[in-house]
Amino acid sequence: MQELWWFLPGWPLVIGQFVVFGALLIGGLLGGEIAQRLAGLPRITGYVVVGILAGPEVLGLLRTPLSGEARALIDLALGLVVFELGHRLDVEWLRKNPWLALAAVGESVGAFFAIYGAMLYFGYSPLLASGAAAVGTATSPAVVMLIAHELRASGQITERAILFTAVNCAFAFVALTLLLPFLHLEQEADLRTALLHPIYLLGGALLLGFLACQLMLTLAGWLGKREDRQFILLIALVVLVVGLARAAGLTVVVALLAFGVFARNLDYDHALLPLRFGYAGQLLFVLLFVLTGASLEFYGLQTAWVVVAVYVLVRFLGKAFAILVLGRLSGLRAGGAGLLSVALVPMSGVAVIMVHDTEALFPAFGAELAAVVLSAAALLELVGPLATQLALRHAGEAHPEDGAG
Amino acid sequence: MNFAKSEPLSVGVELELQLVRAHDRDLAHESGDLIERLKTKEVPGAIKPEVTLSMIELNSSVQKGFTGIAAELDAQRAAVVEAASVLNLGVCGGGAHPFHDWSERRVFPDERFKQVVQRYGYLAKQFTVFGQHIHIGCPDGDAAVYLVHMLTRYVPHFIALAAASPFYQGEDTQFQSSRLTAVSAFPLSGHIPFVRDWAEFTAYFQTMRDFGIVESMKDFYWDIRPKPEYGTIEIRVCDTPLTVRRAALLAAYAQALAAWLLAERPAEPVRAIYQVNAFNRFEACRFGCRGAIVDPFARRKRTIGEDILSTVAEAMPRAASLGGGEALAELAAGVRGNYSAADWLRERHTATGSLPDVVREACTLWARA
Repeated sequence: MQELWWFLPGWPLVIGQFVVFGALLIGGLLGGEIAQRLAGLPRITGYVVVGILAGPEVLGLLRTPLSGEARALIDLALGLVVFELGHRLDVEWLRKNPWLALAAVGESVGAFFAIYGAMLYFGYSPLLASGAAAVGTATSPAVVMLIAHELRASGQITERAILFTAVNCAFAFVALTLLLPFLHLEQEADLRTALLHPIYLLGGALLLGFLACQLMLTLAGWLGKREDRQFILLIALVVLVVGLARAAGLTVVVALLAFGVFARNLDYDHALLPLRFGYAGQLLFVLLFVLTGASLEFYGLQTAWVVVAVYVLVRFLGKAFAILVLGRLSGLRAGGAGLLSVALVPMSGVAVIMVHDTEALFPAFGAELAAVVLSAAALLELVGPLATQLALRHAGEAHPEDGAG
Repeated sequence: MNFAKSEPLSVGVELELQLVRAHDRDLAHESGDLIERLKTKEVPGAIKPEVTLSMIELNSSVQKGFTGIAAELDAQRAAVVEAASVLNLGVCGGGAHPFHDWSERRVFPDERFKQVVQRYGYLAKQFTVFGQHIHIGCPDGDAAVYLVHMLTRYVPHFIALAAASPFYQGEDTQFQSSRLTAVSAFPLSGHIPFVRDWAEFTAYFQTMRDFGIVESMKDFYWDIRPKPEYGTIEIRVCDTPLTVRRAALLAAYAQALAAWLLAERPAEPVRAIYQVNAFNRFEACRFGCRGAIVDPFARRKRTIGEDILSTVAEAMPRAASLGGGEALAELAAGVRGNYSAADWLRERHTATGSLPDVVREACTLWARA
């Protein structure tokens, strides 16, 4: 009898990651549609909720969403988003509109010091406070880019939300990297390690991004202006950079952000066609948000909900200050500054990853940072997409078909 | 219907411009932001919104001739380019955006524009094309009717000299000006009926109004139409050229032609003008100055380029006395040298390999003084 059925697999089946990802994709797809059709919520919110349900805190289908193959997928999806984000950081615009440049930097600095001050007030150490502040400065690139795509939004608020997100992400990464020496010293590491580590991280990411950009420009120039070929080239290079950054122990998002910024601003011969990710990108983004949802942690909300609430509030006020002050000067129409501030509320994926990466290096520090920051990220992961969607629709920048709600 | 008083042979120009995004060179939706920004500046003439958020319109004030038009349009150009750079928008001429998707167009939030869209449906969005309108002051309504008929004979000249829309919806149309095809779809496009004088025209207009077909002259989308409120006739067949100078040259040509026709009355209008019109118009749209048109008076064919050169020679003395001699000479030199904006756009497409690059180069060209 046994010999007759030798071709059957053992029972129960050994479920591989592929099955899990396929199921998550379907779950995310349905969750997104349900959120959109029944409640008029952004699809992203649906993906995230499905992730939370599948995650360790509820059904436990996904136990370790931030490790192994899942983390590789997150890095890849985030890499694509961050590359596109960097590609929208137009240095020429900042040069021609210095008030805008000032507003963008002011937005980052404002958020940083608002959070820093609040955390000090609650008795956190300066180091921990600046860590929380650095992470909180970043707006979620994935949420802003995806909401803009989903609404087919186009206009000043959309453009500026993307630009400011690129700037505040860069600011957050640099700030967090600059904190490393102090963390090392706190752990009584060698002074040389303390200094060389951040230099390696920033320099390595910049160099990798620069080299990838040069390679892409050269190959794109040779391939010519065909959208299909350039699309494959782009995906290939993003995958390559993600892989190399992981292998070299560099921060994936920083390398990709640098790659994007270089590709936009060093393409003097205009070799690159405008980017369009299309369906391939969307597929990864559904997974990205489901996995992000699964990795959200709400435990800080019970123990420190006041701190979390204040964190979210001062972060918003800190971001809004420079935008409101410089809005008109930088060419925003009346009411635009408020909408832009609301559009920049999302905080998520990147923040979660920054905290976890820090935790991997400095367990104690990371854990303490995590309680407040991850809860805030979790809260804003749910509220943020709605805020951005509301802002872009109110600004009248959504495509009329998608923006009727 | 009264024909308002205006300075005979004065000129005015309207230019519809494209607003494009920096990152992909597709049409932007930001005319509202740009116009609000321009409100804070001292700019001569007027700058207005148009039906979709992707375009703005420059209106010159009433000018005596070429120099005034050229200077004023250039001042407007500089102001618009400066304001647009603050918003990271590109501005360019050309009769059509080479690759935009008409279904993406969004309507400027204004009651009149909303009504246009409600009435015309997709035509209104497909009508996101960019033209130059030239106003010429007329002494009275009869002169206006005479000019509209006689200038119709020269419509192919204006189409060919301005042609700057070879690409449409991402494709090379093989036309020098594809824009006018978008106009033809409207029920009230075409040309004025063959009326003899202003009284007869007024009667026609009254009939159309009694039928409930039109409410005002604005409802006629004719190639050339009288504009009694301004005391002008309006030539509407030109694509927006790629530079303001070219726009001023075209205005100078229209002015010189009108001056010559009104002063010398070289012929009286005949029905043959309208019998050959559709054929001539097609030749101009399709082939530009290389097209061959029928002269309804001489009853023979010749190329539009040759026809322009001999007309320029006839109108030159009038142009010179109006200060537009240099302008006409420049226009004629362009015809002899086979200049064509449409060819330039095609040439840039071949050189760069993509339509977004063509738009980028058109923006650079427009931004130059």
